[in-house]
Amino acid sequence: MSVPSTPPPPSGPDSRRSRFAEKLLPGGTEPDPRFTLANERTFLAWIRTSLALLAGGIAVEAFTTDVFPEPIRRGLAVLLLLLGMLLSAGSAVRWLRVEASLRSNRPLPLPLIGPLLAAGCAVAAAVVIAVVVLA
Amino acid sequence: MDENPATAPLPGDGPLDGDPGLQPERTALAWGRTVLTLVAASAMSLRWLPDQGPFVLAMFGLTVAAGTGIYATQRRRYRRSVEGIRAGHLTPDTAAVFWTAGACVVLGALGVWLVLN
Repeated sequence: MSVPSTPPPPSGPDSRRSRFAEKLLPGGTEPDPRFTLANERTFLAWIRTSLALLAGGIAVEAFTTDVFPEPIRRGLAVLLLLLGMLLSAGSAVRWLRVEASLRSNRPLPLPLIGPLLAAGCAVAAAVVIAVVVLA
Repeated sequence: MDENPATAPLPGDGPLDGDPGLQPERTALAWGRTVLTLVAASAMSLRWLPDQGPFVLAMFGLTVAAGTGIYATQRRRYRRSVEGIRAGHLTPDTAAVFWTAGACVVLGALGVWLVLN
């Protein structure tokens, strides 16, 4: 399928876009502003999810000294923190991919960070269950 | 005062935002919630203040600075969204997205360092 070359925006080459944006999101045309804002809110929802994981990781280490043995506590905290970091970076990547799809009118990419979040949370929950059952 | 409240104009400068979906407001609120979550997440680390004082304070200060930066630009962000919707043309806020994601990654890395030390 040949994509027709996109016409320049009405005001000619878009001087309002930063060089950074030009490099990350080349080509295409600005989508409906409401889609751009919706994409931004979705990114923020993912970021808050990753922040909840980061907060969980910090909380496990800070407040569960009497609950979990040390290696498990540290392992769980690091697992949650790493998951939160991956998700933070992944949400920016997803925002970029969605924005690129919007610009060129392509279907939206599947969220790879969804399965990542589910798997990570399942592992963390399994660890907690194992500790509680075996304790 | 005898106007129908359902159709009377809202107080203020007039119809600043012609979008019935209230997208600029929802987006600004989403940023606000994110700031609160960011600061709350890093505030958890204050538990280590007695042992790792300066490090924890620096970590908390970093997120407070990031949050302040977001809050300070809220009004500009809202206005930009409104004008973008009016003009039918809005450039994505690439820098804000990457700075925010970067701040979260750094917060996580500092957290890992704290846990392992």
